[in-house]
Amino acid sequence: MPVVIITGSSRGLGRALAESLLAEGWTVHGFARSPQSLVHPHFQAHAVDVGSEASVQAAVAIVLAAGRIDLLINNAGAASMNALLLTPAATAEALMRVNYLGTLHCLQAVGKAMVRQRAGLVVNLTTVAVPLSLAGEAAYVASKAAVEALTKVAASELQSQGVRVNAVGLGPVDTDLTRAVGADKLHTLNQRIGRPQGTTLAEAVAFIAQEWRSPSAATGSIRYLSQLS
Amino acid sequence: MNMPTFTRDDAVKLVLARLARLGQELSQPALAQADEQTRLFGEASPLDSIGLVTLMSDLEDDIHKACGVWVIIADEKAMSRLTSPFRRVGLLADHIVELVAAARA
Repeated sequence: MPVVIITGSSRGLGRALAESLLAEGWTVHGFARSPQSLVHPHFQAHAVDVGSEASVQAAVAIVLAAGRIDLLINNAGAASMNALLLTPAATAEALMRVNYLGTLHCLQAVGKAMVRQRAGLVVNLTTVAVPLSLAGEAAYVASKAAVEALTKVAASELQSQGVRVNAVGLGPVDTDLTRAVGADKLHTLNQRIGRPQGTTLAEAVAFIAQEWRSPSAATGSIRYLSQLS
Repeated sequence: MNMPTFTRDDAVKLVLARLARLGQELSQPALAQADEQTRLFGEASPLDSIGLVTLMSDLEDDIHKACGVWVIIADEKAMSRLTSPFRRVGLLADHIVELVAAARA
Protein backbone atom coordinates (compact mmCIF):
# COMPACT_ATOMS: atom_id res chain seq x y z
CA MET A 1 0.00 0.00 0.00
CA PRO A 2 1.65 3.29 -1.08
CA VAL A 3 2.22 5.94 1.56
CA VAL A 4 1.61 9.68 1.26
CA ILE A 5 2.17 12.66 3.53
CA ILE A 6 -0.22 15.56 2.98
CA THR A 7 0.37 18.84 4.79
CA GLY A 8 -2.50 21.11 5.70
CA SER A 9 -4.81 18.10 5.80
CA SER A 10 -7.27 19.26 8.43
CA ARG A 11 -9.65 20.96 6.01
CA GLY A 12 -10.28 22.27 2.52
CA LEU A 13 -8.10 21.02 -0.31
CA GLY A 14 -5.77 19.05 1.98
CA ARG A 15 -8.63 17.08 3.46
CA ALA A 16 -10.17 16.49 0.05
CA LEU A 17 -6.83 15.17 -1.23
CA ALA A 18 -6.59 12.88 1.81
CA GLU A 19 -10.08 11.47 1.20
CA SER A 20 -9.33 10.95 -2.50
CA LEU A 21 -6.06 9.13 -1.84
CA LEU A 22 -7.65 6.96 0.87
CA ALA A 23 -10.31 5.96 -1.65
CA GLU A 24 -7.52 5.01 -4.06
CA GLY A 25 -5.98 2.70 -1.48
CA TRP A 26 -3.16 4.84 -0.10
CA THR A 27 -2.04 5.05 3.50
CA VAL A 28 -2.32 8.75 4.34
CA HIS A 29 -0.40 10.68 6.99
CA GLY A 30 -1.94 14.09 7.54
CA PHE A 31 0.19 16.92 8.91
CA ALA A 32 -1.71 19.88 10.38
CA ARG A 33 -1.61 22.25 13.31
CA SER A 34 -5.36 22.03 13.84
CA PRO A 35 -7.14 18.93 15.17
CA GLN A 36 -8.10 16.56 12.36
CA SER A 37 -11.52 14.94 12.32
CA LEU A 38 -10.97 12.57 9.41
CA VAL A 39 -11.42 8.99 10.57
CA HIS A 40 -10.26 6.10 8.40
CA PRO A 41 -8.34 2.92 9.18
CA HIS A 42 -5.50 4.03 6.89
CA PHE A 43 -5.37 7.67 7.97
CA GLN A 44 -3.01 8.87 10.68
CA ALA A 45 -3.16 12.45 11.92
CA HIS A 46 0.01 14.21 13.11
CA ALA A 47 0.07 17.54 14.95
CA VAL A 48 2.73 19.40 12.98
CA ASP A 49 3.73 23.01 12.50
CA VAL A 50 5.37 22.91 9.07
CA GLY A 51 7.12 26.19 9.84
CA SER A 52 9.11 24.38 12.53
CA GLU A 53 11.94 22.21 11.26
CA ALA A 54 11.99 20.20 14.51
CA SER A 55 8.24 19.57 14.36
CA VAL A 56 8.47 18.33 10.77
CA GLN A 57 11.50 16.13 11.44
CA ALA A 58 9.84 14.48 14.44
CA ALA A 59 6.67 13.69 12.50
CA VAL A 60 8.54 12.39 9.46
CA ALA A 61 10.59 10.11 11.74
CA ILE A 62 7.33 8.63 13.07
CA VAL A 63 6.09 8.00 9.53
CA LEU A 64 9.39 6.43 8.52
CA ALA A 65 9.35 4.11 11.50
CA ALA A 66 6.50 2.33 9.74
CA GLY A 67 8.24 2.17 6.39
CA ARG A 68 8.65 4.22 3.23
CA ILE A 69 7.15 7.44 1.86
CA ASP A 70 6.09 7.37 -1.79
CA LEU A 71 4.46 10.78 -2.14
CA LEU A 72 4.66 14.13 -0.37
CA ILE A 73 2.05 16.80 -1.09
CA ASN A 74 3.09 20.18 0.26
CA ASN A 75 -0.37 21.68 0.48
CA ALA A 76 -0.20 23.65 3.74
CA GLY A 77 -0.32 27.32 2.96
CA ALA A 78 -1.36 30.72 4.16
CA ALA A 79 -2.71 33.61 2.08
CA SER A 80 -3.11 37.30 2.69
CA MET A 81 -4.27 40.13 0.48
CA ASN A 82 -2.44 43.36 1.13
CA ALA A 83 -1.32 46.24 -1.01
CA LEU A 84 2.46 46.04 -1.26
CA LEU A 85 3.08 49.31 0.56
CA LEU A 86 0.69 48.38 3.36
CA THR A 87 1.85 44.83 3.99
CA PRO A 88 2.97 44.43 7.60
CA ALA A 89 6.38 42.85 8.01
CA ALA A 90 4.87 40.25 10.31
CA THR A 91 2.43 39.21 7.58
CA ALA A 92 5.21 38.84 5.03
CA GLU A 93 7.25 36.79 7.49
CA ALA A 94 4.32 34.55 8.34
CA LEU A 95 3.59 33.86 4.68
CA MET A 96 7.21 33.04 3.95
CA ARG A 97 7.39 30.82 7.03
CA VAL A 98 4.39 28.67 6.16
CA ASN A 99 4.50 28.69 2.37
CA TYR A 100 8.22 28.62 1.65
CA LEU A 101 9.90 27.33 4.81
CA GLY A 102 7.09 24.84 5.42
CA THR A 103 7.66 23.38 1.96
CA LEU A 104 11.43 23.44 2.43
CA HIS A 105 11.34 21.66 5.80
CA CYS A 106 9.07 18.89 4.50
CA LEU A 107 11.03 18.55 1.29
CA GLN A 108 14.31 18.22 3.20
CA ALA A 109 13.03 15.69 5.72
CA VAL A 110 11.08 13.56 3.26
CA GLY A 111 13.57 14.10 0.44
CA LYS A 112 16.28 12.37 2.43
CA ALA A 113 14.07 9.32 2.85
CA MET A 114 13.20 9.34 -0.84
CA VAL A 115 16.87 9.57 -1.81
CA ARG A 116 17.51 6.52 0.37
CA GLN A 117 14.64 4.76 -1.41
CA ARG A 118 15.95 6.04 -4.78
CA ALA A 119 12.30 6.80 -5.56
CA GLY A 120 9.57 9.24 -4.66
CA LEU A 121 7.36 12.08 -5.85
CA VAL A 122 6.94 15.51 -4.29
CA VAL A 123 4.09 17.79 -5.33
CA ASN A 124 4.25 21.40 -4.18
CA LEU A 125 1.21 23.65 -4.30
CA THR A 126 1.61 27.05 -5.89
CA THR A 127 -0.81 29.55 -7.41
CA VAL A 128 -1.73 31.17 -10.71
CA ALA A 129 -1.13 34.45 -8.91
CA VAL A 130 2.60 33.95 -9.60
CA PRO A 131 2.49 34.04 -13.43
CA LEU A 132 -0.21 36.71 -13.22
CA SER A 133 1.94 38.87 -10.89
CA LEU A 134 -1.34 39.50 -9.14
CA ALA A 135 -1.64 42.99 -7.66
CA GLY A 136 -2.62 43.05 -4.01
CA GLU A 137 -0.85 39.81 -3.15
CA ALA A 138 2.82 40.76 -3.28
CA ALA A 139 3.94 38.91 -0.17
CA TYR A 140 1.85 35.83 -0.98
CA VAL A 141 3.02 35.74 -4.59
CA ALA A 142 6.66 36.14 -3.52
CA SER A 143 6.36 33.23 -1.08
CA LYS A 144 4.85 31.00 -3.77
CA ALA A 145 7.42 32.14 -6.34
CA ALA A 146 10.00 30.91 -3.86
CA VAL A 147 8.20 27.56 -3.78
CA GLU A 148 8.37 27.38 -7.58
CA ALA A 149 12.08 28.17 -7.61
CA LEU A 150 12.64 25.58 -4.89
CA THR A 151 10.72 23.03 -6.96
CA LYS A 152 12.98 23.51 -9.97
CA VAL A 153 16.22 23.35 -8.00
CA ALA A 154 15.08 20.36 -5.95
CA ALA A 155 14.08 18.54 -9.13
CA SER A 156 17.49 19.21 -10.59
CA GLU A 157 19.32 17.97 -7.49
CA LEU A 158 17.22 14.88 -6.80
CA GLN A 159 16.48 13.62 -10.31
CA SER A 160 19.51 11.36 -10.46
CA GLN A 161 18.32 9.61 -7.28
CA GLY A 162 14.90 8.76 -8.71
CA VAL A 163 13.02 11.53 -6.89
CA ARG A 164 10.71 13.80 -8.90
CA VAL A 165 9.61 17.23 -7.69
CA ASN A 166 6.79 19.09 -9.44
CA ALA A 167 4.46 21.98 -8.63
CA VAL A 168 0.83 22.58 -9.47
CA GLY A 169 -0.75 26.01 -9.42
CA LEU A 170 -4.41 26.65 -8.77
CA GLY A 171 -6.66 29.66 -8.88
CA PRO A 172 -9.32 30.25 -6.25
CA VAL A 173 -10.77 26.91 -5.14
CA ASP A 174 -14.16 26.80 -3.47
CA THR A 175 -13.11 26.39 0.19
CA ASP A 176 -13.67 28.20 3.49
CA LEU A 177 -10.54 30.21 2.72
CA THR A 178 -11.81 31.70 -0.54
CA ARG A 179 -15.37 32.18 0.75
CA ALA A 180 -13.93 34.94 2.92
CA VAL A 181 -12.78 36.81 -0.20
CA GLY A 182 -15.18 39.18 -1.94
CA ALA A 183 -17.22 37.65 -4.76
CA ASP A 184 -16.24 40.45 -7.15
CA LYS A 185 -12.53 39.82 -6.67
CA LEU A 186 -12.95 36.08 -7.14
CA HIS A 187 -15.00 36.58 -10.28
CA THR A 188 -12.41 38.92 -11.78
CA LEU A 189 -9.57 36.53 -11.06
CA ASN A 190 -11.49 33.52 -12.37
CA GLN A 191 -12.18 35.43 -15.58
CA ARG A 192 -8.49 36.20 -15.97
CA ILE A 193 -7.49 32.56 -15.72
CA GLY A 194 -10.20 31.40 -18.10
CA ARG A 195 -12.30 29.65 -15.49
CA PRO A 196 -15.26 32.00 -15.07
CA GLN A 197 -17.21 29.29 -13.30
CA GLY A 198 -14.47 28.96 -10.67
CA THR A 199 -12.87 25.74 -9.48
CA THR A 200 -14.53 23.16 -7.28
CA LEU A 201 -12.64 21.06 -4.78
CA ALA A 202 -13.23 17.97 -6.94
CA GLU A 203 -11.75 19.71 -9.99
CA ALA A 204 -8.72 20.84 -8.01
CA VAL A 205 -8.13 17.34 -6.63
CA ALA A 206 -8.46 15.78 -10.09
CA PHE A 207 -5.94 18.26 -11.52
CA ILE A 208 -3.39 17.65 -8.77
CA ALA A 209 -3.95 13.87 -8.90
CA GLN A 210 -2.71 13.75 -12.50
CA GLU A 211 0.75 13.83 -10.90
CA TRP A 212 0.37 10.28 -9.54
CA ARG A 213 -2.53 8.92 -11.58
CA SER A 214 -0.80 9.66 -14.89
CA PRO A 215 2.83 9.38 -13.90
CA SER A 216 5.45 10.60 -16.31
CA ALA A 217 9.16 11.18 -16.09
CA ALA A 218 8.58 14.91 -15.77
CA THR A 219 10.35 16.65 -12.93
CA GLY A 220 10.75 20.32 -12.18
CA SER A 221 7.49 21.02 -14.00
CA ILE A 222 4.98 23.66 -12.93
CA ARG A 223 1.42 23.10 -14.18
CA TYR A 224 -1.31 25.69 -13.75
CA LEU A 225 -5.03 24.97 -13.71
CA SER A 226 -5.90 27.78 -16.06
CA GLN A 227 -5.70 28.84 -19.67
CA LEU A 228 -2.33 30.40 -18.90
CA SER A 229 -0.58 27.14 -19.53
CA MET B 1 18.56 -0.65 28.80
CA ASN B 2 22.11 0.42 27.99
CA MET B 3 22.89 0.75 24.29
CA PRO B 4 26.15 -0.86 23.17
CA THR B 5 29.01 1.60 22.81
CA PHE B 6 29.36 3.06 19.34
CA THR B 7 33.08 3.44 18.76
CA ARG B 8 35.09 5.32 16.18
CA ASP B 9 35.97 1.98 14.56
CA ASP B 10 32.26 1.25 14.26
CA ALA B 11 31.75 4.62 12.56
CA VAL B 12 34.62 4.07 10.13
CA LYS B 13 33.26 0.62 9.21
CA LEU B 14 29.81 2.10 8.68
CA VAL B 15 31.12 4.80 6.33
CA LEU B 16 33.35 2.42 4.38
CA ALA B 17 30.56 -0.15 3.99
CA ARG B 18 28.20 2.51 2.68
CA LEU B 19 30.85 3.87 0.32
CA ALA B 20 31.38 0.38 -1.08
CA ARG B 21 27.64 -0.03 -1.70
CA LEU B 22 27.48 3.40 -3.33
CA GLY B 23 30.47 2.45 -5.46
CA GLN B 24 28.55 -0.50 -6.87
CA GLU B 25 25.49 1.63 -7.51
CA LEU B 26 27.41 4.49 -9.12
CA SER B 27 29.82 2.23 -11.01
CA GLN B 28 32.72 3.77 -9.07
CA PRO B 29 34.81 0.75 -8.04
CA ALA B 30 37.36 3.08 -6.40
CA LEU B 31 34.87 3.63 -3.56
CA ALA B 32 35.24 -0.02 -2.52
CA GLN B 33 38.94 0.69 -1.86
CA ALA B 34 38.28 3.73 0.35
CA ASP B 35 40.07 4.21 3.65
CA GLU B 36 40.20 6.85 6.38
CA GLN B 37 42.17 9.21 4.13
CA THR B 38 39.77 9.05 1.20
CA ARG B 39 38.52 12.49 0.18
CA LEU B 40 34.75 12.91 0.15
CA PHE B 41 34.51 16.09 -1.86
CA GLY B 42 36.65 18.13 -4.19
CA GLU B 43 38.60 17.13 -7.27
CA ALA B 44 40.38 14.30 -5.47
CA SER B 45 37.10 12.69 -4.42
CA PRO B 46 35.42 9.91 -6.40
CA LEU B 47 32.06 11.38 -5.32
CA ASP B 48 30.30 14.24 -7.05
CA SER B 49 28.08 16.60 -5.04
CA ILE B 50 24.95 14.48 -5.48
CA GLY B 51 26.94 11.40 -4.50
CA LEU B 52 28.01 13.14 -1.29
CA VAL B 53 24.42 14.08 -0.48
CA THR B 54 23.32 10.52 -1.14
CA LEU B 55 26.09 9.23 1.13
CA MET B 56 24.89 11.49 3.97
CA SER B 57 21.25 10.46 3.55
CA ASP B 58 22.10 6.78 3.43
CA LEU B 59 24.42 7.07 6.44
CA GLU B 60 21.72 8.70 8.57
CA ASP B 61 19.60 5.61 7.96
CA ASP B 62 22.56 3.30 8.64
CA ILE B 63 23.25 5.09 11.94
CA HIS B 64 19.61 4.74 12.95
CA LYS B 65 19.71 1.03 12.27
CA ALA B 66 23.01 0.59 14.10
CA CYS B 67 22.41 2.89 17.07
CA GLY B 68 18.67 3.48 17.31
CA VAL B 69 19.00 7.26 17.03
CA TRP B 70 18.34 9.66 14.18
CA VAL B 71 21.05 12.25 13.61
CA ILE B 72 21.46 15.00 11.04
CA ILE B 73 24.98 14.68 9.69
CA ALA B 74 25.07 18.02 7.86
CA ASP B 75 23.95 20.11 10.83
CA GLU B 76 24.78 23.78 11.27
CA LYS B 77 27.64 23.01 13.64
CA ALA B 78 29.27 20.76 11.08
CA MET B 79 28.78 23.21 8.24
CA SER B 80 30.46 26.04 10.17
CA ARG B 81 33.56 24.17 11.30
CA LEU B 82 36.92 25.39 10.05
CA THR B 83 37.90 21.83 9.20
CA SER B 84 34.97 20.27 7.41
CA PRO B 85 34.00 16.85 8.77
CA PHE B 86 33.10 15.94 5.21
CA ARG B 87 36.64 16.33 3.91
CA ARG B 88 37.82 12.78 4.60
CA VAL B 89 36.34 9.47 5.76
CA GLY B 90 38.19 9.62 9.09
CA LEU B 91 36.91 13.12 9.88
CA LEU B 92 33.38 12.07 9.01
CA ALA B 93 33.67 9.09 11.36
CA ASP B 94 34.79 11.42 14.18
CA HIS B 95 31.80 13.64 13.49
CA ILE B 96 29.37 10.71 13.50
CA VAL B 97 30.68 9.47 16.85
CA GLU B 98 30.08 12.93 18.31
CA LEU B 99 26.56 13.10 16.88
CA VAL B 100 25.62 9.68 18.22
CA ALA B 101 26.98 10.50 21.68
CA ALA B 102 25.03 13.77 21.73
CA ALA B 103 21.84 12.07 20.57
CA ARG B 104 22.15 9.44 23.28
CA ALA B 105 23.02 11.91 26.07
